[in-house]
Order: sequence, then structure tokens, then C-alpha cells
Amino acid sequence: MITAGIDAGSRAIKIVLFDIQRQTVFATAVCDQGTNQKVRARRLYDNLLRENGLGHKAIRTLVATGYGRHMLDFCDTTVTEISCHAAGVLHHVSDATTVIDIGGQDSKLIRVGADGKVRDFVMNDRCAAGTGRFLEVVSQRLNIPLDALGPAAERSEHPAKISSMCVVFAETEIIGLLAGGQSCENIIAGVQRSIAQRTVAMGGKDIAPPVVFTGGVALISGMKEALERLLELPVNICPAPQFTGALGASILAAKYET
Amino acid sequence: MMECSNTNNNSNCPQSCINSRFDSMIENCCEYAERAREAGKPIIGIMCEYTPRELIMAAGGIPVCLCGGSEEKIAPAENDLPTALCPLIKSTYGYCCTQTNPFLEMSDLLVAETTCDGKKKMYELMARRKDMMVLELPQKPDAPHAMDHWLSELRRFRSFLETRYDRKIADAGIWKAIETMNLERALRRRLAEMNKQTPSVWSGLQLLAYKSIISGIDEDLEEYRRLIACGANAAGSEKQSCVRVLLTGVPTVHGAERVVEIIENAGGAVVCMENCTGIKPLLEDVSMDASDPMEALASKYMHLPCSVMTPNTRRLEILRRLADEYDAECVIELVWQGCLTYDVESYYVRQIAEEMSLPYLKLVTDYSPSDSARIALRVEALMETALRAQA
Repeated sequence: MITAGIDAGSRAIKIVLFDIQRQTVFATAVCDQGTNQKVRARRLYDNLLRENGLGHKAIRTLVATGYGRHMLDFCDTTVTEISCHAAGVLHHVSDATTVIDIGGQDSKLIRVGADGKVRDFVMNDRCAAGTGRFLEVVSQRLNIPLDALGPAAERSEHPAKISSMCVVFAETEIIGLLAGGQSCENIIAGVQRSIAQRTVAMGGKDIAPPVVFTGGVALISGMKEALERLLELPVNICPAPQFTGALGASILAAKYET
Repeated sequence: MMECSNTNNNSNCPQSCINSRFDSMIENCCEYAERAREAGKPIIGIMCEYTPRELIMAAGGIPVCLCGGSEEKIAPAENDLPTALCPLIKSTYGYCCTQTNPFLEMSDLLVAETTCDGKKKMYELMARRKDMMVLELPQKPDAPHAMDHWLSELRRFRSFLETRYDRKIADAGIWKAIETMNLERALRRRLAEMNKQTPSVWSGLQLLAYKSIISGIDEDLEEYRRLIACGANAAGSEKQSCVRVLLTGVPTVHGAERVVEIIENAGGAVVCMENCTGIKPLLEDVSMDASDPMEALASKYMHLPCSVMTPNTRRLEILRRLADEYDAECVIELVWQGCLTYDVESYYVRQIAEEMSLPYLKLVTDYSPSDSARIALRVEALMETALRAQA
């Protein structure tokens, strides 16, 4: 029996088909979010089924998550990305206690109880400074591709101090740092540290291991280390971190009674 | 999953109590205030639950609540006030400087208290347009001389009203006003307490609507009675899958109900509101046993558990009790951005929720709807957490 999870995030649409009997991922797909999320998600889903020789009836339940979840009216139900990320991470790391999810516009810190249920969560509210958006801004501003940010940060000797509370002002701050002769490497490392600081500060003192890092930003090298330095704890990157939300949605879909 | 997504469906009551006299509350109050003014009664604006309406009523005045709930009034207020101030203060002031609150325009006098710093300083600016009486509210409610000082402030207020309106305020008149206010409190309390049962009778939005910015209007009292009867008949309907929410924190005044709406659209039933637009001012009556009505008033109002008090242990005791009595399944704390006292006090509220094993969510926002989707996400996730905790 196959279930499906669609994570309509702020930057990308991710789909996971999940084999319930075998408890494994059957297939995945990803595309940019674009302007018409509903149409793109539908097309991505139809293509994924076709590529795998599946008809729509082969999917027992389809759950939508992510910030565009309510727009996907072809899904059976919606679950928030908070519950989905927790479920997705627990599939990979069954004893995870803290889940850090940093996505395109959101960062979340989810605490999971011993019973595997979400105990508590915090997320950024009106500002994108602690999110992937910040990395995109610095990538554009410094003209360095996203996947080259990590190697660049590794070469940094003195990460620059970025103190802005707002991604727009942070951009201004970066311009100031460049004008002051700071190297790109130090600025990138500074931005990564600032994102990590913001996320860790949301969680307060109560961050217990094992800590699992997920969301698209976990793919960017240097971020895991930035978190580890602040937390003074090992941080595990969740396998296929971009798909954790969709995976969780497909797993929770199995529990949904149609 | 969220079966009661429509707020009106939260309630099992017939259409006759969904359509209420309170739907046209502002119009009713406007008409009432105009008539009162024509009859020579002064309209007196109040901006906090600490003001004893009874003294104003005994002086022949009409107390009207002027708290602002409109986002539109914030931009004009920011010409004079800092952006970082709470939206309630800015909106109230915005009405004042744009001269768009008919009740404020009709007011002959404003009464206020030294509660939070933001309000206190805003009142100074407001006093440039209207005569203003500020009562000094002690902020250590259990300190030895707090009650004496508050009582002397209320006595000062009484004689101020006597001089201003050239009439003697007799004790008997105060007792009569106390009786009216106690009756109104009792009726509103009964209405709110109907939500102790499962399923709850009223949605949070309904309870917010079932009140008036002017107290003691006969038709309103009659309407409370009708609604109570109506709700009693509707009791015992089928079980729903809503999550029972205890909402606490700042008041959601007329026009600023957005967060309550978001919660109820996300499958929450706001069964109890521990705030100044909810049950907080209704929990204690003015004692009719005292020999001096002024002492009785001072005692009731001094006990209001606002976060300006330190320590504000009464609020925490009340929260524990309400969570229990209303069978709350989670606690949502609303803090207006810039409301420092509630923001800091949330530390203890979270602690209580954790002690009671209730999922807790703190929302810091203002009157602008820009973050509604993000608030909805967090509220939905809280509902999922609460439902999973039950499973």
C-alpha cells in the first residue's frame, strides 16, 4: 500500500511516495515552487505516479503540508509542517529529541517527547533573518552560488559579526562589511553563524540531544558545524533533509482514515 | 481532521441566539449615549477595567469603554507615539487624534489609571484634548498600604466627580450602582461558565460579541438572560472533535478579534478567555456585606490580576483553576507586541501549562493581519499536538 505526502514549501515542492508495508520511501520528486503552486504540484504528482507506473487509485491517502498546503485541494487532508517534520525525522532517527528545521522562509525548533509525539515547538515569526532566505540574499549579493557557500565559509578565519534582526537590514549590513574590506568568506561564515544563533535562541536553554537538522538549509555545508559550535552538541543531518516534510506527510497519511 | 472549522458550528445553539442584540452593539451604545447626553448625563470615557464604573454611574454619568481595536488608527497614532508601543494603546490614541471615536468625542471626561508605562504616558498626550482624571493604582497588590492608597484614590475620585458635576454622591447611590454592576457581572459570568461543559455552548467569538462598551443598559441585561436561557436549551448536543482552548493574556477589544477567529478556524474551541475582554473582570463581585461601599469597591478592583501588578500571583492561581474548571486541552497566550508586562509574565504561564501537561503556545502579534497565515500554522500545529497528546 502506498501513501503520498506533498510538501508545498515556500521555495520548492517536494513529494514522497511511501510504501507502508515495507516502511520505505518508494519514490520522490522535487521542483521549484513557481507562481502557480497548485498547478505545479499537481503536475509533479501526476508525473511521479506515471513514471512509477501507478494510477491515482494506487495511492491510499494523499496529505499536503507546507505553507501552500491549503491550496492543494486534490489532497485528502492537510497536516502542518511541524508535525510532518517531526514524523519524517523520527522515521530516520527514531530517538531524535530535538528537530531543527531551517527552510526557505521558516526556521523551527521542535521538541519531541519520548513517546515520539511533538512536545513543543517554536518558530520565527515576522522575520526571515534566521532562514534560508538569508543565504539566498548573501549568495546573490556576493555572486557566489548557494552550493559554493559552504566551501567558502570553511576558508573563513574570522567570521564577520552580523547583528541585524531583519533580512533586509542584514543586506545593508553586508554591503557595509564589504565596503569595510571584509572577505566574502568571513561574511558567509558570519551569516551562517547568525542563522544558527537565531535558531538556537528560539529554543532557549532546553535543547537536548540527539539533535537532528533538517530542511533545505541542512544541505548547505557549514550550517551543521555552525549549529554544533553554538549548541556544543553533535548535530546529525537528517538523510534527504529537503524531503523530511513530505516524508512525514506520507507517513502520517497512513494514519488518516479516509 | 479539523471538523469544526466554522466558528458558528462551534456552538450548538439555535439561530435565535446566533442573532443577538449585540450584533449592533456599537449602534445601540451610540443611541443610548446620545439619549443620555440629551438628558443631561455626562459621558465619561474609561480605558481600563480598574476603573470602578459604579462611581461614575452613582454620579449620574455613563461610563463608556474607549479601548481601540482598529488597525487603521495605528498609523495616525504613530505620528505622536513610538512604533514599538502596543497596538491597543496606539489604536485608542489614534481614535483620539483623528477624532473618529464618537464616544470619545461625546465624552465630557476621561478616567484612567497608572497601569502600564505605555498607557500612562499616552494618557498625558490624550489629556491635551479631553479633561482627564488619572487614578494612581498601587502595583504591589498585597503590600500593607496598597489598599489604603487605592481607597484614598477612589475617595479623591468620588469628591472630584461631586465637585465637577455639582452633586452629592450618596452611599445609597453607590450601592445601587454596585447592585447593577454585580448583576451584569453575574449574568455575563453565567454565560461564560456555560462553556465549562463539553461540548461548549458558545464559541469564543460569540462570547466576545456578547457584551457592551456601556454597562448596565436594561435591554442588554435582558439579552444576557435570553442568551442564557437559549444556551441552556442547546446543552447536551453531540460530541465534537474541537480542541478546548484556554486563551490568556492581553484583551481582544472590539475590532481586534483576529486571533480568536484564527484559533477557531483552525479547529480550536476557545472555551475560556482569561483576559480583560473575557472572564477576568467578572470573577469577583463587589461585596455587598461591607459597611462602606468605597471599601468594597477598592477591594474588588484592587484584586484584578493584571500583569502590571507585581507579583501577580492571583493570575497564576486563577489560570490553574480555569484550566481545570473549563477542562482546557491547551493554553494559548496572546501578547500584543510591545506589551512588556504580559510578555515577561508569559514565563510563568508557560511553566503552569507544563506543570499541568497542557500544550502551550505564545503568540506575539499586533493588529495587522500580515502574519495571520503564520499564526494559523502555529495554532494548527498546536491543535495537532493537543489531539495527539489525547490519542
